[in-house]
Amino acid sequence: MKLIIDESRCKGCNLCTLVCPYNIFQEGSKLNEKGIVVPSLDRPGRCTNCRLQKLYQRRLCGVCQLICPDQAIHWVEEEPYEPLGVVIEF
Amino acid sequence: MTPSLEEWYRQERMPHIFCTGCGNGTVINCTLNAVVEMGWEIDNTIFISGIGCSSRAPGYVATDSLHTTHGRALAFATGVKMARPEFNVVVFTGDGDLSAIGGNHFIHACRRNIDMTVICMNNMIYGMTGGQGSPCTPVGAISTTTPYGAGEPVFDLAELAVAAGANYSARWTTYHVKELTKAIKAGMETPGLSFIEAMTQCPTSFGRKNRQRQPSDMIEHMKNHSILLSKKKRLEEEGKSVPDDTFAVGEFARRNRPAMGVYKK
Ligand SMILES: Cc1ncc(C[n+]2csc(CCOP(=O)(O)OP(=O)(O)O)c2C)c(N)n1
Ligand code: SF4
Repeated sequence: MKLIIDESRCKGCNLCTLVCPYNIFQEGSKLNEKGIVVPSLDRPGRCTNCRLQKLYQRRLCGVCQLICPDQAIHWVEEEPYEPLGVVIEF
Repeated sequence: MTPSLEEWYRQERMPHIFCTGCGNGTVINCTLNAVVEMGWEIDNTIFISGIGCSSRAPGYVATDSLHTTHGRALAFATGVKMARPEFNVVVFTGDGDLSAIGGNHFIHACRRNIDMTVICMNNMIYGMTGGQGSPCTPVGAISTTTPYGAGEPVFDLAELAVAAGANYSARWTTYHVKELTKAIKAGMETPGLSFIEAMTQCPTSFGRKNRQRQPSDMIEHMKNHSILLSKKKRLEEEGKSVPDDTFAVGEFARRNRPAMGVYKK
């Protein structure tokens, strides 16, 4: 799975930067064409849900999606899906 | 197949009109996540609201919805539940809507214990009309009608619901998204009236005047000034003082009083 911010919805409130336990969301620096500074993603592959959703068959963590007031955070399928050497800790 | 989370939103109406960083969107997320976990159907769920920013929320939910007059959401919801008890009824309301103009409807809906879920987005202010003080404006807060700081005691809505007889009552904030989702789900599972108070940030009308200009400042404030109900009770038992500027979060009541309008298959 891949984490994305929908730029057509994000209003740049930066609440996601507060809640992610991995600090994946960083305050952005560039204005987009709507005049909004959308947060940037720092190595989004670290996100628990990106790595392990397929294995557990349910959404893991997901606080950024829950807190995002503008419904701008989603996960999309990666084509082709590679389990990319995920380290599973039991 | 029960509908997925995406199907519960009216995607074509997004992005919504709420201001940047407004907590109302977060409360919609938590509610719809709880609804998906409940496995409800879009066709037999109805979202009802009064007037205010918070009350625009049902406009972004795919179900049938009623956007009614100021303060009267619970009156309309009572009608819906009596006419069609098989419907799952959810009410979105603001603090002004619920506790000021709609105060009487609120206490009587709790007293009758009508089977519905009431979610109050308490932003401590009248957001839509430009930031007048509401019965939930904290003491000392600046609003357009309290330029020297609000002086009146605050309504504790979650306690009010308990006293008036609701079967479920809880309070969380938009920082506590997981707990809020769980509380909403628990409320939906409980027969009778379930009241969930979600403290939200209104950066535009509240934060701007109270030195919390950024949405994140307001979230930090709520995080630092909320105290778990169990901890508050423990402090009181030990005879220690609870800090004045905090508010309790947690589950205030979950009980089984006789309820009205519970649908029996
Ligand atoms: C009968 C009536 N009185 C007053 C108003 C004006 N009015 C519109 S929204 C509002 C305040 C709503 O505040 P609240 O319920 O706290 O919701 P918020 O906007 O803060 O989410 C008021 C007083 C109205 N629309 N109808
Ligand atoms: S005025 Fe306040 S409550 Fe209304 S949309 Fe803006 S931030 Fe939200």
